[in-house]
Amino acid sequence: MAEVLLQRKFQVRGLDFDKAGDTSAEVKAILTDVGLDPDVVLRAGVISFEAEMNVVMYAVRATLILTLTEEALSIVVDDEGPGIPDIEMAMQEGYSTASDEMREMGFGYGMGLPNIKKNSDEFVLESQIGRGTRLCSMIELDSR
Amino acid sequence: MIDRTHGFRIEHGDCRGCLSCMRICPTRAIRVRAGKAEYTPDRCIDCGICLSACPSNAIVATTWSMTDPSRYKFKVAVPSPVLFGQFPAGIAPSHIVDGLLTLGFDAVWDYGVETGLICGAIKDYVKGWKGPFPLISIDCPVVVRLVQVAYPRMVDQLVGVQPPREIAGREVKRRYSRELGLSIDEIAAIYITPCQAKTISILEPAEEAESNLDGAMGITEVYNTIVARANLPGAEPGFAARTPSVRNSSFLRWSLGDGLSRILSGHRYLHVTGLSNVTQVFDDIEKGRLRNVEFIEAHSCWSGCTGGNLTVANVYVTLSKLTSLINALPEMDPETRREVERRYPSESFALERPIRPRPVRGSGTTLRERVEMIHRAEAILERLPGLNCGLCGAPTCRELAKDVGMGDASQKDCVFYSKDRLKKLREMHLRPAE
Repeated sequence: MAEVLLQRKFQVRGLDFDKAGDTSAEVKAILTDVGLDPDVVLRAGVISFEAEMNVVMYAVRATLILTLTEEALSIVVDDEGPGIPDIEMAMQEGYSTASDEMREMGFGYGMGLPNIKKNSDEFVLESQIGRGTRLCSMIELDSR
Repeated sequence: MIDRTHGFRIEHGDCRGCLSCMRICPTRAIRVRAGKAEYTPDRCIDCGICLSACPSNAIVATTWSMTDPSRYKFKVAVPSPVLFGQFPAGIAPSHIVDGLLTLGFDAVWDYGVETGLICGAIKDYVKGWKGPFPLISIDCPVVVRLVQVAYPRMVDQLVGVQPPREIAGREVKRRYSRELGLSIDEIAAIYITPCQAKTISILEPAEEAESNLDGAMGITEVYNTIVARANLPGAEPGFAARTPSVRNSSFLRWSLGDGLSRILSGHRYLHVTGLSNVTQVFDDIEKGRLRNVEFIEAHSCWSGCTGGNLTVANVYVTLSKLTSLINALPEMDPETRREVERRYPSESFALERPIRPRPVRGSGTTLRERVEMIHRAEAILERLPGLNCGLCGAPTCRELAKDVGMGDASQKDCVFYSKDRLKKLREMHLRPAE
């Protein structure tokens, strides 16, 4: 494991639509400050935003940990929540269990998890029914 | 640091070091370390708020003056539509044109046709755009610079179509060089601007291309001559026949900030004005809260270009005058429409180069070094009082901490940590007791 240059931990609360997006905005701000390539920041922004929205929509609470090394950045989201019964199904584009209310707000179109995967260089999703879900996403940085 | 020209300069002789500009700067680009205001060029977005905030008039807009280059054989004024709403009743567009000729211009160009062309070009651009959304208008140079500096991830969403004034500059040169047998370099196209931000967009375009305009004069600089000329006895608008004057409302509407609202009516379009509102909307886009919006027409001034910092008249009066002019004119007169239809297929309106983010400060250093700067800044911030008094010369404790992290300032700039700093401030700003 490479040496950790920077690590930040954020708390995300379920159903807190008012604050939804704040954590990913902070993630983007930090990564911009660090001077990462805008494309990497954009991808990290999508990953953290979609993960944050999943917590807000479905889980009770979660921690999001951002870790930066010379080679990569990782985003790990650990939530307390219902868990995902069928991960393979959840990873399909367009599959969603969102309520109409959530869809009206512009979310829940079944693109979140596929989007996270698409923007990650490595992606692992683990879930325990009734306990929660753990999402690990990693983006490789160009050698510079 | 990158040397970047801006549309104003700070006259140190007049600056009293009062901190007004530093406190109000939306991008926190200003510092007042040694009793004089200085700005970081790569953070400045040319919004011009500091110009109006300075009580000593020490911040001055740079513009082009008529005495400047005489190397041009033919000088054409290209007035912003705002100019036509600036004058008291009785001074008609034709008087305004005549006043500009009195100033030494050889011709005045009404860019109604170019506005029509750009409306068409933007409509087509939106139609062909596959995403990401929303697209953002680039008519306001402050908005463009805000995106480059603070929202670099959104630069591709800036509409890649030139503003009408630039197309007007190109046409002025093409037309008059052909008619008068002059070379393009002998013709000057001078924009009559409502703000210093548009001056800088001409001198130093955001996309690092070359502007088709050669300079800009503030409305403030032409105002008096126009009024004086119009009030001369016998100054009847009989000359209107030989000069172009405003013929259609779409040209004037462009100055109100929602010039695109009609042509984009079938799209999910937002009209956003005022820098803090623009920032809020951009933040919401970044946070993913504003989905399903296709186009944002954004202006830094809350009243569109009518509130520019180089205007003269009261902004409400200007709005009212422009509205009555707009109501009296057709959307597009037949002659303009014919000209738009003739020129549209044969001209290109795309930006010559894409707009890129401005390089961030500290680029050139390694990731490890930049992270260390952040760690240092965080450690310093813990020790600062958090009162944001500004006496250190930075607008907030957080900014001082960042400056210290980067090695531009010292913790001893904080008055809580240095009696010297307080003593120096006392010497500079307090008159000795009798």
